Amino acid sequence: MEEPRIGVYVCWCGTNIAKMVDVEQVADEVSKLPHVTISKTYKYMCSDPGQELIIKDIRGHKLNRVVVAACSPRIHELTFRKAVEKAGINPYLFEMANIREQNSWVHTDRTEATSKALDLVVAAIRRVQYHEPLQKRSVNVDPATLVLGGGIAGMAAALEIANAGKQVYLVEKTDRLGGQVAKFDLTFPYLSSARQLIQPFIQRTENHPNIDLFLNTEIKEVTGYIGNFKSKVETAENGTIELNFGNIIVAVGLKPFNPTVISEYGYGQFPDVITSLEFEEMLSNGHLLTKYGKEPRNIAIIHCVGSRNKKYHEYCSRVCCMAALKFVHEIRACLSSANIFEIYADMRAYGKGHEEFYALTTHKQIIFLMYDQQESLPVIRQANRNDNCNMIIEMDEKLSGESIEVPVDMVVLMVNMEAHENVKEVVRAVGVSLCGNQFFIEKHPKLDPVATTTGGVFIVGSCQGPKDIPDSVAQARAAAARILASIAQGSVAVEVTTASVIEHLCCGCQTCIRVCPYDAISYNEEKQASEINEVLCKGCGTCGSACPAGAILSKHFTDTQILAEITGIMSMSYKGA
Amino acid sequence: MSVRLNPDLRNELVQYGIGDWNACYHCGTCTAMCPLSEEGFLFPRKKIRLMQMGLGDQLEASVEPWLCYYCGDCTTTCPRDANPGELMMSLRRFMTSRYDWTGLSKKFYTSEVWELAWIIFFAILVVLSFVIVLPSFGFHYTSELTADGGVKVNSFAPIRIIETFDWAMAIIVATLLMSNILRMYYAIIWKHTNTKVSLWVHIRELWLLIYNFMVQPKFSKCDSKGYWVSHWFLMSGYTIMFIVIVVFLPWFQTEEILPVYDPQRLLGYYATFGLLFGLFIAIVGRVKKKEVKFQFSHISDWLFLAMLTLTVITGILIHIFRINGMPMATYISYIAHMAILVPMILIEVPFSKWSHLAYRPFAVYIAQLKKNAVPR
Repeated sequence: MEEPRIGVYVCWCGTNIAKMVDVEQVADEVSKLPHVTISKTYKYMCSDPGQELIIKDIRGHKLNRVVVAACSPRIHELTFRKAVEKAGINPYLFEMANIREQNSWVHTDRTEATSKALDLVVAAIRRVQYHEPLQKRSVNVDPATLVLGGGIAGMAAALEIANAGKQVYLVEKTDRLGGQVAKFDLTFPYLSSARQLIQPFIQRTENHPNIDLFLNTEIKEVTGYIGNFKSKVETAENGTIELNFGNIIVAVGLKPFNPTVISEYGYGQFPDVITSLEFEEMLSNGHLLTKYGKEPRNIAIIHCVGSRNKKYHEYCSRVCCMAALKFVHEIRACLSSANIFEIYADMRAYGKGHEEFYALTTHKQIIFLMYDQQESLPVIRQANRNDNCNMIIEMDEKLSGESIEVPVDMVVLMVNMEAHENVKEVVRAVGVSLCGNQFFIEKHPKLDPVATTTGGVFIVGSCQGPKDIPDSVAQARAAAARILASIAQGSVAVEVTTASVIEHLCCGCQTCIRVCPYDAISYNEEKQASEINEVLCKGCGTCGSACPAGAILSKHFTDTQILAEITGIMSMSYKGA
Repeated sequence: MSVRLNPDLRNELVQYGIGDWNACYHCGTCTAMCPLSEEGFLFPRKKIRLMQMGLGDQLEASVEPWLCYYCGDCTTTCPRDANPGELMMSLRRFMTSRYDWTGLSKKFYTSEVWELAWIIFFAILVVLSFVIVLPSFGFHYTSELTADGGVKVNSFAPIRIIETFDWAMAIIVATLLMSNILRMYYAIIWKHTNTKVSLWVHIRELWLLIYNFMVQPKFSKCDSKGYWVSHWFLMSGYTIMFIVIVVFLPWFQTEEILPVYDPQRLLGYYATFGLLFGLFIAIVGRVKKKEVKFQFSHISDWLFLAMLTLTVITGILIHIFRINGMPMATYISYIAHMAILVPMILIEVPFSKWSHLAYRPFAVYIAQLKKNAVPR
């Protein structure tokens, strides 16, 4: 190994760091350490002149290692790696010390903060000496895409990719396209017809030359990795077909909650207690009648059925409040004098045009009644002959504090939207994770909402959580854009800091296989050792720390590097104290 | 104990002037803003809720609408333009008709035709009494003047008969009003509660009735523009005139022209001024519509103001014509005065707008009783 020549750069971050840490003293102290060729401070290291400073020094002083003490590596590690690379040395021969978030922002004593900054910088200097150059790797991307689910999100994604001239395999479990949207009558908040929305979509999907449609089909297994997946599908006409594709979009949607389990509502027991989807069907057919064939005089719409209730589902289904208000307009259109009761827990009108829609609906002569999920649910019972109505809802009305009885002839239950039971099969096939509510987990809830932790697998629409049509379509098109970008590139970069097995140390206990969250490790019977697929490996390090034999090497997190870092952190403290 | 919603009540409530009864979404800003709302008597929000839900019995058992003196702060600050102030006003109309056992109040409030027809009916009765009935008993108008040049009004309108009639009218009106007050008391204190109030509390708090009738302290508490003053003049002028006409008619309706400084004339002038001043402010306010309380006039509000104004004007005319010796003009003014006054008293006092002169002070009294209620 060549002699390390380290450049150390301590950032002021304006006054963010310099106010609490004596940056000059830190730079001065570390300049005395072995292998430190130069050590400097600068007002903003991340600025263009700051980066230029590093590049000039690397070239002028023949540096082969760089340490920057500044903010969190989450923010600027990539910036400096690129600068270092530009000057001609491997980007992994760089280390960052966080003296802002972990130091100047959280401390109040300047002397102690300076001493701690020194510890952190020394640790980075010690560590960087053992860094090894790592090479970037990439894999080619198959330009075809597999879309699972033929609802509005799946079709939107499929059409977006197909319109760009790329092959799409659209796999739908049922015998028709359209998903939940095909079951709706009108949509909120503009009361436009769902059929007019979905029909053209279905036709374009069916007739698109770049879309191969597989109805009544389920994917059992997917093998491979980002850019190079494989799967077999059973088709009625052509038997088993093997598909190759580079990316997967999961758009399997969700299903309505079955309210039979909520005994208070008597669903299944009272013929005129129906679910919101059954009501949609009734509206689509144009017959708003009770089971006795009469026009209902009093209609109650109960919100949050199975939602926001720890007994059933704790989460909010997001779309039901607005759908319930939509029903008001549809009922008013055919039964102008009916009494409509909106029995709700909280009215949620968060989306574009939703609050306005709520305000508009309040003028439709309806009665809002509030119940408290935490206290008790409304209870439906059969009315007596002289009640002059079909059923009675008993409830504690929260806004008045009164226990009331509501006379009703028909009750619509705004049922929760829950994940499909067979979602676990999809999970197994494509290798993504589920949250506690059985919805797919996105890679980052805010910054990467359609990707998953598995490269090349994207989640769109309501399988990621209940959502309305605009959100589903937006997600679908976002995922399509991500996929088209990778197809256009032809290849995608894969993780560099992966793990590898030192075969002769492996004892074959297979602990690593059980702990790997990415299914990247398999056992090679012939070699009697574990094997890591470096395309699937994300470099999380779980296997490395679990291995009892020390047989797994995590690149960029080797034992030598971490021990050097710890030694560095300890060394100065003893001296300083 | 649960109560049954009456979704059809809203159709009835709308007739009392309740506009958009569903705009309120219960933020409670109105109740927080209200200078008169207090622990145990919170309004307007809760009353709006009862209206929306169609809980008529709960509304009937509420004293709160009468504790609101309509400053309009709630309407000004309402984020939903739900107009709580006017909802409370409309609620007072509704409650007046709920207390009234004859059902006439409801008829008068919900149908202008009904109210106008009855006013005209009574007016015609009055005119016929003067033109046909009284002359047939030997009372006629004479152009002969008194010694000091005044009109001989008592020969046309015999003081004994008029006084008897006044007493009869007062007794009828008072009976109706008191029976309705009893119903109000029963609904609020007994019918829908499990509590009782001791007799001693009833006696102890009686002073509140007189005090609130005379002074309207709650009105002054929520008034910043001086409307309490004009209302007080109107109220005192009316009360003095009413007492003078019913109890002291022989002293008041004289043929002799007394000196200007005589208490009879001074009292009459004060009452006239008080009425005119109060009416002027109320009418100008309702025309200009600057204040929230004047913005939403129900037909019953205008009818009452118009009748009272005409009563005052005809009263002034009688006085002027009489002391200036103009017999025919005096007689005609007298008939007109009575033709407006009699229906006003008979309809407005027990059944409509004017009834608040009793409901308001009694509400304060009943609220005080409620505060002292114990479980029964």
